[in-house]
Amino acid sequence: MLLYPTAVPDGLSLPSVDVDATFGARLVARAERYERFLYVDWALAQVALLVTLVLYARKGATFTRESAAGPLGTGMLLGMLGLAIVWLVGLPFGLVALWWQRRYEVEDMGYLEWIYSDWAVLAAEFLAICVALVIVMGLARRLGERWWLPGAAVFVAIGALFTFATPYLDFTTRPLEDKALLAAQTRYERDLGLPDVPVRVEDVSDDTEQANAYAYGIGPSRRVVFWDTMLRDPFTESEQKVVLAHELSHHSQDHLPEGIGWFALFAIPGAWILMRATRVRGGMGAPEAVPLALLVVVLLQLASAPAANAISRRMEAEADWKALQVTRDPASLEKLMVGLSETSLGDPAPPGWAGLLLGTHPSLADRVAMARAWAERNQP
Amino acid sequence: MAPDSATVERPIRLVVRDDELRRSRLTVVFRLFLAIPVLVWLGLRGIAAFLVGFVNWIAVLLQGEVPDSLHDFVAGYVRYATQVSAYVFLAADPYPWFRVQPDYPVDVEIAPPKRQGRWGGLFRIVLALPALVLATALGGGLSFGPSGGSSTSAQGSEGEWVFWGSSAGGAAAVAALLAWFYALARGRAPRGARDLVAYALGYGAQALGYALLLTGRYPSSDPALAEPYAELPRHPVQMVVTDSLERSRLTVLFRLFLAIPHIVWILLWTIAVLFAGIAAWFAALATGGVPQGLHRFLAAYVRYAVHVQAYLYVIGRRFPGFTGQPGTYGIDLEIDPPRPQSRWLTLFRFFLAIPALLLASALGGVALLVAFLVWWYALVRGSVPEGLRNLGVACIRYQEQASAYLLLLTDRYPYAAPVLQGRRHEPELSVEPAVGDAF
Repeated sequence: MLLYPTAVPDGLSLPSVDVDATFGARLVARAERYERFLYVDWALAQVALLVTLVLYARKGATFTRESAAGPLGTGMLLGMLGLAIVWLVGLPFGLVALWWQRRYEVEDMGYLEWIYSDWAVLAAEFLAICVALVIVMGLARRLGERWWLPGAAVFVAIGALFTFATPYLDFTTRPLEDKALLAAQTRYERDLGLPDVPVRVEDVSDDTEQANAYAYGIGPSRRVVFWDTMLRDPFTESEQKVVLAHELSHHSQDHLPEGIGWFALFAIPGAWILMRATRVRGGMGAPEAVPLALLVVVLLQLASAPAANAISRRMEAEADWKALQVTRDPASLEKLMVGLSETSLGDPAPPGWAGLLLGTHPSLADRVAMARAWAERNQP
Repeated sequence: MAPDSATVERPIRLVVRDDELRRSRLTVVFRLFLAIPVLVWLGLRGIAAFLVGFVNWIAVLLQGEVPDSLHDFVAGYVRYATQVSAYVFLAADPYPWFRVQPDYPVDVEIAPPKRQGRWGGLFRIVLALPALVLATALGGGLSFGPSGGSSTSAQGSEGEWVFWGSSAGGAAAVAALLAWFYALARGRAPRGARDLVAYALGYGAQALGYALLLTGRYPSSDPALAEPYAELPRHPVQMVVTDSLERSRLTVLFRLFLAIPHIVWILLWTIAVLFAGIAAWFAALATGGVPQGLHRFLAAYVRYAVHVQAYLYVIGRRFPGFTGQPGTYGIDLEIDPPRPQSRWLTLFRFFLAIPALLLASALGGVALLVAFLVWWYALVRGSVPEGLRNLGVACIRYQEQASAYLLLLTDRYPYAAPVLQGRRHEPELSVEPAVGDAF
């Protein structure tokens, strides 16, 4: 249970929140309309993805004739082609979502720009899938069906290395210069028992109206990044301080190392299932098994999404609670949630299934409820 | 089965009647200046020819055929342009004067007018664009962007701006430049470079003739068309093509992404090759030859570079392996075993390789353009045109012969003629000196 403890008090009961009164009935109705369309788009994209992958799992092995490479190279080709097909199938759904976001003025990015900007990420994914397949297929060809245990260990190690190294590969952000926030940072770090964590700013306002901030890195590579959209209206300085405290709390509560631990717990049985499922195609050492493996991995991701999201929500709730403890400003947290709903058009109280499958954070209404619960406990 | 493009009758065909390759050093020194009067005259004739070309266009739209007199006028211009270009690019020595020479050493034969499709005529300038771009890349080269200037920003501050212009191709221009030095020294043109220039002029004549409606047949870039005059001597580094022309559209669409692991791998391999090349240089200086193990390692690298480039440029069909093994890919390189090499040529290898690397760079630009054209064609048709594929292979062949020369896999200089198959008798290239029939 090393991964499960939380700073949120046991048995904390969250008061019910009247979302219309808190967020405004008009905003709630608009956010619901906005999100409903995106839910449908997402669901259709998932159906299309699964159908495509099922077809690819059945027919994909025919692409082996397009390879003059050995088994590992052919496996890489099949993996990359699978990724290419998935990208192509997802493209219209992504464009429709972008159209909707532009219609609601949440995104400013052009359609072609959106496709082009995705290419660097796609190239990195092509490379990543090649590395993953070389590891898995290489181990499977050497160890046979016993590959899954060392394979899972290698992936956890890569995940840890990636989490550690990513901040050092960031060349797009700039240091935060807001003196008030920097002063607050020093105070929060002292209260949270953290050393100096660099806080940086990512300029995204040319492309989107959405506001965000995130924490990443482990140990000496820890960073907090604000989108520049978070550092302007409608967010006040007090709200920005709450965001800063929230992100620093992720580091003080070791959420990123915990995430790697959780990944390990999922990766080991996942690798075992992958080994068993691909037996019918000769095991992961055979390139013909790669299309089926892609389908299995996507199914595993979908199946584990509710649990993974629950773990993520638990961490986010803990970061909110710690942020309240260091800022002692529940009113700003509440206003922050209203501001996030305004800029990102997030539905304050999404349907249960959406929270289960997509909710990496507690709903905005739940976060407001937590602010009120904290206030009830800690203020006279 | 589609007919071999080399055997198909071509309405615009290059003729080369200059086997001796002798050049007058005096006219070579001042070649560009001497050409000024004929270039001015060519420009004036060009204006007239383009006006007549417009009339041809109307004629094809109305009656599906170009009148004989107009056809002859434009054909005369295309022939004259070829002769003047051959003189400027050192592919021929006699002065072209101000009219078409009937027995000029480099000339084009143009068939009489035939009926042409009206639809093909209507969109001729659009259809001709890829061929004209390729002809330009093969000839003088393409360049993009102005070289510099000044501007005033919206805020009113004036500043200097510079665009780094980039260029593609210009293979014939580079070959002519190298031939200029060679001809000054030896009093004759290098055969390979002359054949490359002639091939470029032949393609240019086809493209121009097609654009000006002399023919409805699309220009063929197949290097096989150069075979009547060009030859490919036996070389220790030879291309072997066994690939099919079919392409999977999916792998074509994502070709650049699919090549990513190979690009990463070849970059890593190149680092090792840098050290291996230096070691081979020292070994060749000390022992007069490259050790078998180093030769095998470097040969595998050069072969792998061919596989990757062919795949990336859609010239090759299948995803290549990562080891550069011989005989594993449809566009492959045969490299002879190591042989003793001259220590003098080894000592100055890097400097000797510079002209070949310049030409390889120009041909690399042509290959890139070929890749772009082939990519679109394959995406639409699910196959690649044989002529363009073979031109791409010829460009890669020269590039990798240059790499092999630089990496001491052979001391035979790369051969520039864009030919893929040697003649049956496979004439031996003069070995003395090894830079001899350069380019």
